Amino acid sequence: MKRALLVLPFAGCVILPRSLEQPANDQTTVALLTGSLGAPLNDIARHPWFAVRRKGEIGWVVYEVGGGGATESDPFRKHYPYENPILHEVWRGDDAEKAADCLEREAPEWIAKLDYRFYPGPNSNTFGDAMLRTCDLRASLPSTSVGKDWRGLIGGGVTSEGTGLQLETPIVGFKIGLKEGVELHFLGLSIGVDLWPPAIILPLGPGRLGFADR
Amino acid sequence: MKRAIVVLVVVLASTAHADRWRRAMDRWQGGAWLHYELTGMQRVGDAFDCDACAAEDLVLAGARLHGFLGANASIAYHLGVDIALGSTVRDAGFAYDLALFPVGILVRAGKTSIVGFGAGIGGMGGIGTIDDALTFPVEMTAEIGIGRRVRVLSRARVTSNALAPTRQSAASSIAFADELDAMLGLRIGRYYDDYGFPSGNGYFVGVSYRELAGGSMLGLTIGYSIDLAMPRRWVEERDAEYDDHGRRRRRVRMPSTQ
Repeated sequence: MKRALLVLPFAGCVILPRSLEQPANDQTTVALLTGSLGAPLNDIARHPWFAVRRKGEIGWVVYEVGGGGATESDPFRKHYPYENPILHEVWRGDDAEKAADCLEREAPEWIAKLDYRFYPGPNSNTFGDAMLRTCDLRASLPSTSVGKDWRGLIGGGVTSEGTGLQLETPIVGFKIGLKEGVELHFLGLSIGVDLWPPAIILPLGPGRLGFADR
Repeated sequence: MKRAIVVLVVVLASTAHADRWRRAMDRWQGGAWLHYELTGMQRVGDAFDCDACAAEDLVLAGARLHGFLGANASIAYHLGVDIALGSTVRDAGFAYDLALFPVGILVRAGKTSIVGFGAGIGGMGGIGTIDDALTFPVEMTAEIGIGRRVRVLSRARVTSNALAPTRQSAASSIAFADELDAMLGLRIGRYYDDYGFPSGNGYFVGVSYRELAGGSMLGLTIGYSIDLAMPRRWVEERDAEYDDHGRRRRRVRMPSTQ
């Protein structure tokens, strides 16, 4: 109990996380999830994947770096070898149709061109953020998705949530916006304050201390 | 003929180069550790020469990322970067403490224990409370793994300051530097040996002490720490050996891994 109290501030406690129940297949669905890497990086690094299921289908097509392309039955709860999945955003209906088409078109091409570097990037998280921006999917990856803010030697633009701006170099960078709040980046690690939903952004665990991102 | 000789020389040189590279890769071994820390400190005792110690307390949150690389199992080159931001709470001044350690040496012991020394440059101050100083820190870090769950974390840093006249000779217990900073903590977590790579992570709590700007501060540090390294390998040199075709075998072998 004492230890639990001690670690609480650092554990990235998230209030009201999204349920990992799969939505019905009466509409096309696109979901953005992340899972933690294996030990000992399990608390500081996460990996993203997009799960896409067309209307009426049962299986999910997964888009990610280092895998994907296969059909999975439940990438919400199990996506080997990643653990502790978090659902960050779900798109349904027409939005999901557009997103599915975009991911199908853009993801393989982006991955084929990827000159992968585990740290600081470009890596699987760079792919996740790039797809969010390319396909106009308004969401953001958690701060423990190290590499999400990789823009090369220097880069910037509108954030993936679409209500802010960011400027990045491999050493330092920042993101500022109406929903994004203020996020400082140092060597790929993120710290800051998310304005909506409110949370403190930490480079540990689920990446935030406060309300779940939605 | 001339062209054939040139080709032969290039081939031999590149083979030798590849061999050297392979041997170097066999020897090089390294690791890294990362700390996330939150430290809260309160001034204690009377300041002994305290024109500048407007800060009653200091809260800093930040990260320390250090790495090492060496050509043998025990001694390695060590470098690191520390960044912490916060506030002198009651005086509401934004505070920062940054340090880059480009030069250092590290000794490895056991599977995961290390003792490292580093020297570098940085900056530390608090707006309106602690004069901004260009710092030249020298730091000793010791992390000792005890069993599979416990790791002792310790750090002691002495700093020489520039650009801040009020922070010269501002530590009462040392005469050879201007300020002092130390932390002793205990990490409770896990040890891993996946794929032969010794590593570990966990949360820690520690006691922090600082002599800063003429005053002494005592406080608590909580944080998260992760360490990972290549296994220590003892490499032996042997005389060159040749196979039946007259090709030289690799000279390096690794008899033991701990």
